[in-house]
Amino acid sequence: MARLVLAGLLLAAGPALQAWDADRMQRAADRLGPRAVAGARLLQPLLREVAAQDEAARLARVNEFFNRRIVARDDVDIWGRTDYWASPLETLDKGEGDCEDYAIAKYFSLLATGVAVERLRLVYVRAQQGGPGGPTIAHMVLAYYATPAAEPLILDSLVTEVRPASRRPDLQPVFSFNGEGLWQGAGTQPVADALSGLSRWREVQVKARAEGFL
Amino acid sequence: MPLIRQVWLLLFAVLGLAVGGAVVVNLLSARDTLADQVRLKNADNAQALALVLSQQRGDTALIGLVIKAQADTGHYRSIRFEAADGSTVEQRFDGAPTGAPGWLRALLPIASEPGVAQVSDGWRALGKVTVVTHVEHAYAALWRGGWRALLWMVLVGALAALVARAGVRRLQAPLDATVAQAQALADGRYVTVAEPAVPELHRVSAAMNTMVQRVRGLIEAEAAQADRWRRQAHCDALTGLPHRAHFLDRLAALAAREDGAAGGALVLLRVADLDDANRRLGRHEVDAALRTLAAALQTEVDRGPDALAGRLNGTDFALFLPDRGQASDDAVDQLAATLRARLAESGLDAHLGAVEVPPTWTASTLLAQADLALAQAESGAPFEIVRLAEPAPAGGGEQAWRDQLQAALAGGRTAIAEFPLLGVGGTLVHLECPLRVGLAEGAAPVPAARWLPMALRTRLTAPLDAQALHLALSAIAEDQRPRCVNLAPPSLLDPDFVDNLRDRLMAAPGLAQQLWLELPEAAALEDRRALQAFSRLLRPLGVHFGLEHAGSQLHRLERLYELGLDYVKLDAAVCTGLVDNAAAQEFVRGTVRLLAGMGAQTFAEGVTRAEDADALFACGVAGVTGPWARPA
Repeated sequence: MARLVLAGLLLAAGPALQAWDADRMQRAADRLGPRAVAGARLLQPLLREVAAQDEAARLARVNEFFNRRIVARDDVDIWGRTDYWASPLETLDKGEGDCEDYAIAKYFSLLATGVAVERLRLVYVRAQQGGPGGPTIAHMVLAYYATPAAEPLILDSLVTEVRPASRRPDLQPVFSFNGEGLWQGAGTQPVADALSGLSRWREVQVKARAEGFL
Repeated sequence: MPLIRQVWLLLFAVLGLAVGGAVVVNLLSARDTLADQVRLKNADNAQALALVLSQQRGDTALIGLVIKAQADTGHYRSIRFEAADGSTVEQRFDGAPTGAPGWLRALLPIASEPGVAQVSDGWRALGKVTVVTHVEHAYAALWRGGWRALLWMVLVGALAALVARAGVRRLQAPLDATVAQAQALADGRYVTVAEPAVPELHRVSAAMNTMVQRVRGLIEAEAAQADRWRRQAHCDALTGLPHRAHFLDRLAALAAREDGAAGGALVLLRVADLDDANRRLGRHEVDAALRTLAAALQTEVDRGPDALAGRLNGTDFALFLPDRGQASDDAVDQLAATLRARLAESGLDAHLGAVEVPPTWTASTLLAQADLALAQAESGAPFEIVRLAEPAPAGGGEQAWRDQLQAALAGGRTAIAEFPLLGVGGTLVHLECPLRVGLAEGAAPVPAARWLPMALRTRLTAPLDAQALHLALSAIAEDQRPRCVNLAPPSLLDPDFVDNLRDRLMAAPGLAQQLWLELPEAAALEDRRALQAFSRLLRPLGVHFGLEHAGSQLHRLERLYELGLDYVKLDAAVCTGLVDNAAAQEFVRGTVRLLAGMGAQTFAEGVTRAEDADALFACGVAGVTGPWARPA
């Protein structure tokens, strides 16, 4: 635990450190198809570029990248299943994704640029559409906490701009989580990959790792 | 290390490795499964708890209460909430260790990987919750599972061992048979065995059986050849019975022997009017009748040891029936009846004269008396027996004999004589030690010829033989000179006698090497199995085992090659006058070859003349005994 926190502090302080594996990402993209390769070819220079910038800039660039490239669509239409958590490259390959796919792709990309895992949380929210009194939907966004007690910045697929939580009255948070503590005590290899298919969160983390984001 | 034991060790090693390996693999995989379960439980419960904590609107007291409730009712070692400001709330319950031993925890540690989940209140990140569950139940399950696996594997291992035992047994029996056959060959016993089904052993046994058959063939051919020489040297061409000279030689040898015959009868038979019969019936018919007569006499001879038949001249036949425990009066009467029946068919008549054998006798006096009886019989009707001498047994009655012998044994009135058996160059091979018994208080001990018939009839041979052995072994212990004791065949059937002898020899192994034991050739004809068993029991101890008074029936001994003999002593009758008899020399040479083929030595008995001794040594005999060999 102490080691992870320390690593997070180091990453925050020294942006020159590269947390991701370009070769692994390239090979994973080759396996998926030409659109994934094209997506990776655009994503990789971005990741390299923003790693030198401050975290606010990274949030903005990564948020913009995925909101621009990915078209919002239901999992049923993309994957033929009611709920599927796609990995970043899968999402890039399809060019489509639902709210979870956006949040996941941004989460892993930001981790790849060196943002500490403690500062990021995937948040289940209740989103009110069309102003007060409008219909509510179950939605997922990515929240960034500059410090543990700070007001988070929200990266959402519905709104292109990264805004603080207070400027998103339409979103009501329900529960948040991240990958903290997940790999600890197991070195660099995920524990029991065979069991990863039994949990969506675990499965998508294993896939992102295989794609070189972690 | 014996092959079968190696197989067993190998089997046990393999079974042990399999059982141990299976238990270890079982433990390792159980450990991994349990560790996975613990990790998943930690992760899932952390998330579930974080969900609940996130609904408490950041109320620290409520959060602490929920954590305490969860920790108190569940199976957790620690539940800890770390707030964003660094403060922590922790519930720990170390719990009591379960039955799993410490070395199991040390060898197979199960890590309880903490589950971590984020707690928030709306957008406000409150902190994270860390859940660590107890692993004691996992150790307990591992320990129980290990025991169960061990029990099952030992059970399966025991079953496998049972199956293996059956398999090894199947191998062992034919292996033992093959080894026993090889051992028998080394001991000079040429036995065949059933060829085992195991292919390798089958080939070995088949090869050995073939070799044994070949050796048997050679031995049998040698025996047949030796027998032909014997017949030529000693027998009448027409009837196959010993001719006059040889019959007299054998009778004389019997008279001279320590354990020769005393008692019994000599019967002379003269075919009446042979010339007339030749004319009447034709020579061919008469020859056939004479052969029938000879066969009838031979039947009598085959009945008991030391019995003797011969054709003294064209018309005269002789039959010597020693007293060997049977009543010889009855035997003579029965003989007369048998001969009458046989000869009546061919129309020949015969006269019979019989004489009782006195306690001391010589061949010539006995024959002269028998001639007298025959002469008297010729004046009577055919087939009527004329007996000379009283048939009353000496001493009167079996009970009296028994008392006499037992008194002699109890009173220590026994002694052994010592006659040297000399090898080539006059070296001592052993001392023959016949037992002599003093039949009455103060009387001189007398040779076996006098007491053996009594002992046979009263079944006292075993104690007498035991006494002879005792005296001989004591003498060996004193001067370490090899000694030879002759045993009566009935003694071998007495288990106490055999066991005692074996125990005594095993107690003093040095004595066995110096002890030579022998039985009359006739014993091998009567009860080959008893002899064979005796030989197998005692030869491994170092005892030399052989036959005495051999010659006339050696070739008739069935499976001589299975007896396991160290030596054979040829009867005096075979050896007397050898120097002048080329055929007899051939017989001795053939016998020596035959016995050498079985790994046995040949000795000669009753040698009286230096020329005969030289001739015997020239024929390959390894040693001689008799008056010639005795110190002057």
